[in-house]
Amino acid sequence: MGRRRRRRRVDPADATRALPEAIAALSQTLPAGPSPETFRRAKFDRPEAAPALWRLLFRVLSPQLADGASASFSPEAQVRSVKLALRTQGYPRRALAQLPDDGSQGGRELLLALAWLLARGPLPERLLTQNRVQLGDEMPVCECEALASPGPPAPSVEADGCVDIRHLQWLMGKLRFRWRNLMASQQEQCALLGKIHSYTRGCHSDRSLGHLSVTETELLRDPEGGRQLLRRLERENARLQAALEWRRRELVFWRWMDTVLGACPPEASQPTFLPRIPTPGTGALEPLVRELQALQGELREAVEARRVAWEAGVGGRGPEWSAARTALREAVGQDLAALRQACERGGSCSLAQPHGPHRLVRTEAGAPGGPGLRAPEVIEALRSQEARLEVVLRQLQGQCRQELARLVGAPPGPVWILPPGR
Amino acid sequence: MDTTVTLLAGSSRRLVAELRDALDSCAERQRQLERSLRVSRRLLRAWEPAETLAPEPTPGPETNEEAPSAACIPSPQDLKELELLTQALEKAVRVRKGISNAGEGNKAPSLKSGSIATSPATRASAPPSTSHRAGSRASETKPPRGIRQTRVPTKDLPEHRLLSVGDQACMGQGAGATKPKSGLRNEQIVLSAASQAPEAFTLKDKGILLQLPEAFRKAASRNSRLWAQLSSTQTSDSVDAATTAKTQFLQKMQTTSGWPGSRLSATEVEAEVRHLQKACLLLRLRMGEELTADPKDWMQEYRCLLTLEELQAIVGQCLHRLRELCTVVEQQLGPWPEGRFPRASLPCGGGADPIWSPQLLLYSSTQELQTLAALRLRVAMLHQQIHLEKVLMAELLPLVSKQEPLGPPWLALCRAVHSLLCEGGQRFLTILREDKPAD
Repeated sequence: MGRRRRRRRVDPADATRALPEAIAALSQTLPAGPSPETFRRAKFDRPEAAPALWRLLFRVLSPQLADGASASFSPEAQVRSVKLALRTQGYPRRALAQLPDDGSQGGRELLLALAWLLARGPLPERLLTQNRVQLGDEMPVCECEALASPGPPAPSVEADGCVDIRHLQWLMGKLRFRWRNLMASQQEQCALLGKIHSYTRGCHSDRSLGHLSVTETELLRDPEGGRQLLRRLERENARLQAALEWRRRELVFWRWMDTVLGACPPEASQPTFLPRIPTPGTGALEPLVRELQALQGELREAVEARRVAWEAGVGGRGPEWSAARTALREAVGQDLAALRQACERGGSCSLAQPHGPHRLVRTEAGAPGGPGLRAPEVIEALRSQEARLEVVLRQLQGQCRQELARLVGAPPGPVWILPPGR
Repeated sequence: MDTTVTLLAGSSRRLVAELRDALDSCAERQRQLERSLRVSRRLLRAWEPAETLAPEPTPGPETNEEAPSAACIPSPQDLKELELLTQALEKAVRVRKGISNAGEGNKAPSLKSGSIATSPATRASAPPSTSHRAGSRASETKPPRGIRQTRVPTKDLPEHRLLSVGDQACMGQGAGATKPKSGLRNEQIVLSAASQAPEAFTLKDKGILLQLPEAFRKAASRNSRLWAQLSSTQTSDSVDAATTAKTQFLQKMQTTSGWPGSRLSATEVEAEVRHLQKACLLLRLRMGEELTADPKDWMQEYRCLLTLEELQAIVGQCLHRLRELCTVVEQQLGPWPEGRFPRASLPCGGGADPIWSPQLLLYSSTQELQTLAALRLRVAMLHQQIHLEKVLMAELLPLVSKQEPLGPPWLALCRAVHSLLCEGGQRFLTILREDKPAD
């Protein structure tokens, strides 16, 4: 590693080089990054810069598309998609929305949009993470991915009419069947992984890993695939290197962006004009409102019942009572502090659990092992989660049972014979 | 009862959509799992030398009996050429070395410290002379392809019968290109298994002989080093200055725009809603714990009471926030458009310190791994079941209360609804009805 140069007085030669180098690094780390020259032209709003920047923004805003897939979108579709995505994220300038759809103009505005995205979060790192080359056998230890599925499902295009409830029963049965299959396949996969890991123990050059993963073994079996993997890895390395470069040099880019922003005419403010931005309508929020209200209702009932019992009981009297009460209040406050924080705006609901994908490494039973999560701990955490979720499910089912019993009414109605106990 | 029980159109659409969503996400998981399974099963079978376009054979446990069938067989002419070449090389070796030591045709590839060569398809006419380990050797057996490259520097290697990988799918073609290759470091060694009924390579028997190619190792270690550098928070002056510059830039963008400031973007609204959904579940979980706890003395009783009150307060705050969001949505934002735009995915857990590359998870036995995986699936399934339960409750319970009671269709509906809501659709109850004598 070279020594860091102390930046005291930047001499002009350095200064003129610094910006293109920073932009070059940025361009290399982003997918489909254009040349520094394009950026310069964009500052002066030259039309030839626009298409490349539209393409870049499209790739950046829809990273889940594979490399080749973006070609299947026409330029107009790309432009519209970019506009929609930026508005959704709250891009503050109106000028972007007013750019023509054919993608022929708007270099400077697009440059501002890119800078806006870069300023709001670690964009290059995020993009790199999403399309990361996976060398190990990875398993997520949390279910955040699954839970982050899109909200209201798209209505199916089936017949709009009524549906027999038996169709619902059939769908539920199908779902149960699929879960069972999934479980069986998963068990098989774990068994195979275990074998592969133990058959290749000691083969890895990295001692902390010890054995090969499926990907690594596969590259040995299939050299052509191995070469492709190597190429992807090298490309990723180049992009990672560029990202580090970018982080070192980005300050000069931001100074330059100030000048770009300064070159734009200020937007006339029209306070009465509020364009519509697509979101889930309040309809989509209704279920959550109902849920929270239901939860509130249950809690209210529980609290009232317990208060009544408390007042009628014998505890909580006497002189030392108030001191004890204060102490208890404090204890409860502390107990729930983490929960309260998680529920607050901006809090993280991670519940101090492990998160994210982890690379599986097989070790000997007694070995101390290096850094990393241990499977028994994760199993413990999952078991306790399972138990809590089961409690919730039983409660919900219990509520339904009570509600149905109420609806069916008292005798002389029909007699319900419940299925044999669990 | 032969009555069909139908549902209202509106709720049925939502219910079917939710169930289909659940089915689809299951199917997606299954697809991914199947892909991994295919790869893993193939790895545990005998490895075939010509792997290109090999069709998926019947899945089976590892076998190490038959010779792998080559997808292409070298032509007789190629074989002849190769044989001639081999003989010439052998002669050269003999002439050069003069002595041949032990290492007479080591049958099995030596372990990692040694080196390997592959033998061409010719019959092992004369066991190639071998010399000491420092030299190079040609063994007549067929180490599987893709095995480790030689550690030993091989400068002089006419005796190496090595076929460089990947240029040929088929040994026959490779014969022409068989140059004694030195410096095999960066190549994998390919072996074809034509006529000699070679031992097939199986991971079980010879897995520990594998070694990753050098180029890959270098790239992989560079990769993990770079990721580590990216993850580490650099607290240098330049980083802080950049952060300040970015904040200022964003502010300027806001002020030069024509729109009033501090509006919530759609993405932010969505993120908050999801956050509140998670919060709701957390609160419900905690409430569940408190309700099932059994207080043993009055202090615990009071504590339980206080906890529930506190939970109630938090729920109230969440509801308040949600209502604020509803107002924002109504006033500023519009209806949901056709189609869905891509959603920015954040690292899960949303921690302040995102770790960009995966960490390790150490396990010690297959059983442990299976338990872990099974529990993870179980938790996912429970989440889904809870979600479906809430949806079903919201749609089906009103249905039961609206219909005309006590007719046979209604009873059938009740029975079906009960099964769906209370037994997860798995069990059904029996309804006994007292028939009026005269009907």
